[in-house]
Amino acid sequence: MKILVIIRQTPDTEAKIQANSTQNGIETSNIKWILNPFDEIAVEEAVQIKEKSASEVIILTVGSERSLEALRTALAMGGDSAIHITDDSFADMDSYALSKVIASKIKSIGDVDLILSGKKWIDEESGQVAIQIAEELGIPQATLATKIDLDEANKSVKVQSEIEGGQRIVELKLPALITCERGLNEPRYASLPGIMKAKKKPLEEVKMDSIDVGELGLTKESLGNAGSRLKVDSIEIPVIKRTLTILKGGKSDMVQADEVKKASEELARLLREEAKII
Amino acid sequence: MGEIWVLVDTSQGVIRNVTYEVLTAARKLKEKNGATIAAVYVGDEAGSIEGDLSKYGAEKIYKIENPTLKDFNASAHAHALAETIKKHNPDIILAGNTLQNQDFLPRVASRTSAGLSFDAIDIDINSSSTLQVKRYRYSGKSISTISYHDVKPMIATLRPNAFKPVENQTSAEVINESIDVPAENNMKVLETKIIPKERPELTEADKIVSGGRGMANGDNFKLIFDIADSIGAAAGASRAAVDSGFVPYEMQVGQTGKVVSPNLYVAVGISGSVQHYAGMGSSTIIVAINKDPDAPIFQKCDYGICGDLFEVIPALTEEFKNLS
Repeated sequence: MKILVIIRQTPDTEAKIQANSTQNGIETSNIKWILNPFDEIAVEEAVQIKEKSASEVIILTVGSERSLEALRTALAMGGDSAIHITDDSFADMDSYALSKVIASKIKSIGDVDLILSGKKWIDEESGQVAIQIAEELGIPQATLATKIDLDEANKSVKVQSEIEGGQRIVELKLPALITCERGLNEPRYASLPGIMKAKKKPLEEVKMDSIDVGELGLTKESLGNAGSRLKVDSIEIPVIKRTLTILKGGKSDMVQADEVKKASEELARLLREEAKII
Repeated sequence: MGEIWVLVDTSQGVIRNVTYEVLTAARKLKEKNGATIAAVYVGDEAGSIEGDLSKYGAEKIYKIENPTLKDFNASAHAHALAETIKKHNPDIILAGNTLQNQDFLPRVASRTSAGLSFDAIDIDINSSSTLQVKRYRYSGKSISTISYHDVKPMIATLRPNAFKPVENQTSAEVINESIDVPAENNMKVLETKIIPKERPELTEADKIVSGGRGMANGDNFKLIFDIADSIGAAAGASRAAVDSGFVPYEMQVGQTGKVVSPNLYVAVGISGSVQHYAGMGSSTIIVAINKDPDAPIFQKCDYGICGDLFEVIPALTEEFKNLS
């Protein structure tokens, strides 16, 4: 089995986000970057499959020099090799072009049986690129997987997923793409020996000039921000003014047992009469 | 001017509320550019949906019906919609940000070389009649204004609850589209389980009550369910409560859980971490119940009680019951 995991480096979930000086991007200097938490689940799943059956796990990302760190993390978790598609002109590429570039690289690797990725990027709040890659490759997909059962002999995979109002199980013929939801597994921490080994694992760097963009129906100009179908005009950090009406106790901050009824009455009244919400 | 399409979302044959929200949002664009609003159904059998759709301003209804579209399959649905798009060339396609739409619209975008963005909280068109959306990025931490450039169709999904549905009776012309949908043999649905929900879906709920680490264990979530039921709210949880195994992941609200924006969000025993706030910070009214006066949630809520949740919640549940 050849398994490919598509990952992305994202700001840490606890990172404080601020707009940059041109107000159309975020200030990146003080941010701690991590492997996208949902992609971490995808890496874990690939490594677990490898531990059960002889498989090769390839990690792929598109991103700046900085995103090498996320690749190293995935390798330390148990990936075998990595592909880093990195070129300054790729910055702000839209999902349409991005999925074509990644799909063309996957085709050139050849014989990939299973592609895994997180259900969404926590920075862009979207999982569209993975699905567009499946479309470009002409392979089936299952998204939001909470259980994956591979049947190597039959070249198929059963996937349990969340759907609106319930869940369903689908069977996909390989090759297929699956996006991973929390609950699928508990990602491991990279061990120290794992981190040491990761440094020696093969890493291929792919620049734009090695990609035949014409063949993808794109032009060099259409890659990156200039040709993007969607452009960010501005970013604002929402500040919602909150009333901050906090009911406290008479003697201490905490409402005491004999004050609970009065406080609850008052809160219910505020929600009904002031906020008009109940 | 061309057409604005609104995808019809149904659940067990009934049109979901988010469709009416999206129709209302589409009318806002129509006021600016005079486009025709068309509702588009993709599935096995539309039934008589035209009455409900025209009540919210649909002037045309495309019914793309095919028995092979019974079980949702992203490739088949994408094929059916993309072929119809190529035939009629709509300028803008809007849909609810439902799981199903997030699942197949990326394929439609690839097939039609479209621009696509998810989860808009507001939409507009600028002078050159291109679509502009506002959406959260970095979870609730930033709002980006994004414009489409030299691309058609322009596809966007809208966050449930972001637009209030308003009726506007029209009469709608029904157009039946027959599309050949090739049978997909590389994907098969083995089992679909609709789990009857005792409470509203988190992502579409108007009111939500969530419990956090302060709940101490899973059994105590009965308090959350009881107070939620007293006001018809959905029940959620913080990451800490899910990680501690109190409740399943489906209930998690936050950056790595569900992103919600109800009119009322009640946080019970939740300290209010950055990652939790990222998932519910756009709620209209936030109420916090916490015994720690220094909990960060008290700096970003509208109302709160500083007290023991095990005393406050039963008392508050009684008050809510008395009100309704």
